[in-house]
Amino acid sequence: MSKIIIGRYIPGDSLVYKMDPRGKLLITILFILTIFLANNPITYAIITLFCFLAIIATGLKARVFWNGVKPLIGLIFFTSLLQLFFMTGGKVFWHWWIFSISSYGIVNAIYIFVRFTLIILISTVMTVTTMPLEIADAMEWLLKPLKVVKVPVDKIALVISIALRFVPTLFDETLKIMNAQRSRGADFNDGGLIKRAKAIAPILIPLFIHSLETAIDLSTAMESRGYRGSEGRTKYRVLNWSKYDLISLAYFVLLVGLLLIFRTH
Amino acid sequence: MNAKKILRTDLQQMIFLGMIVAMKIILSQFSFGSTIVKVGLGFIGSVLLAYFFGPVWGTIGGGISDLVSSAIFGNQGGFFIGFTLTAMAGPLIYALFLYNHPVKIWRIVASTILVTIIVNIGMNTLWLHLMYGMNFNALLVQRLPKEMIAPWVQMAVIYIVLQAVSRVKIKK
Repeated sequence: MSKIIIGRYIPGDSLVYKMDPRGKLLITILFILTIFLANNPITYAIITLFCFLAIIATGLKARVFWNGVKPLIGLIFFTSLLQLFFMTGGKVFWHWWIFSISSYGIVNAIYIFVRFTLIILISTVMTVTTMPLEIADAMEWLLKPLKVVKVPVDKIALVISIALRFVPTLFDETLKIMNAQRSRGADFNDGGLIKRAKAIAPILIPLFIHSLETAIDLSTAMESRGYRGSEGRTKYRVLNWSKYDLISLAYFVLLVGLLLIFRTH
Repeated sequence: MNAKKILRTDLQQMIFLGMIVAMKIILSQFSFGSTIVKVGLGFIGSVLLAYFFGPVWGTIGGGISDLVSSAIFGNQGGFFIGFTLTAMAGPLIYALFLYNHPVKIWRIVASTILVTIIVNIGMNTLWLHLMYGMNFNALLVQRLPKEMIAPWVQMAVIYIVLQAVSRVKIKK
């Protein structure tokens, strides 16, 4: 089973770090949506340029971003290749059975490759420059409008923060349980699929019981400290908008403007 | 439904939901199988959410698990609302079959097949098609082989896990 690194945050103090996580999260989501607007070489060039400007603004080494793309590079190539063979139209260079390579296919494969890479890069900018806790706070803020349709946002915020807090703890616990079972002969990487499927229960059940016990203990602790539901409470961790968010907003508006001017309608 | 009886207050339920969401996130980081067919374990988290919390909170928990795992591990395909909907749809379908019902093989088989068709083949392929502008058929060719094998393994795992989980009793 693979090794997991928890948290991808890398400390720094460049421009991007000073931005409000809410602004960053919104712009990341919107950036991914604006990639849909690109439909010709000029717009793809513009959006690539803007993505690289954002990367430079983080002030981090190129290796960080390469590490973000590396695990997916095989998938990206494979996907682009499949697209190359399946897209038809334009000049046909090679044809066999249902596969063909056409000029349209080549252009599209390149577009998909660029899109894929840009989306991963811009998401890497977000996760590398923002602490998980800040991202979670930003998500909570984004969910707030759902209150209008009676979604229990406060409870969701509580669940988010508990999940966030306990992922590392439960992860350590998982490794501990696995080691404990291994020391008594359990084997998680051997045998057929069914044997491996059966090997999951000895990890899962202790983990499950541990979570159940933690839930009971934690709720007792929270109630004894005066927790009576999410309403009527103050906030200790507060997010503040800064002047740097105006820069990112202006940057984004400029990008959308340029894309709308140069895209083929 | 033992865990439901053990948990008394609403707060305990919510914290337990948080813990199961955390479990789903950790499980989805693990996978088993050979290099040809890799089966991620995230579906076990979806099943547990569905089994204990039902369609409403199970679905919400699925959505939260996607948000939190993107916050911690970064979303590998980029932040996209479609994948959050996918994470919500899985527990919803499982809950319709498994919540408040005895563990039966046909329920597991039917829910897994529905999840595979609607969520893994349907929705996820649709999102990739929308997100990257890929050809739908090419995507299906790429994804179908795995989705033909994985569900059968998943059914076996779900059966083993639910059998075991329904026997859990805690004395406090």
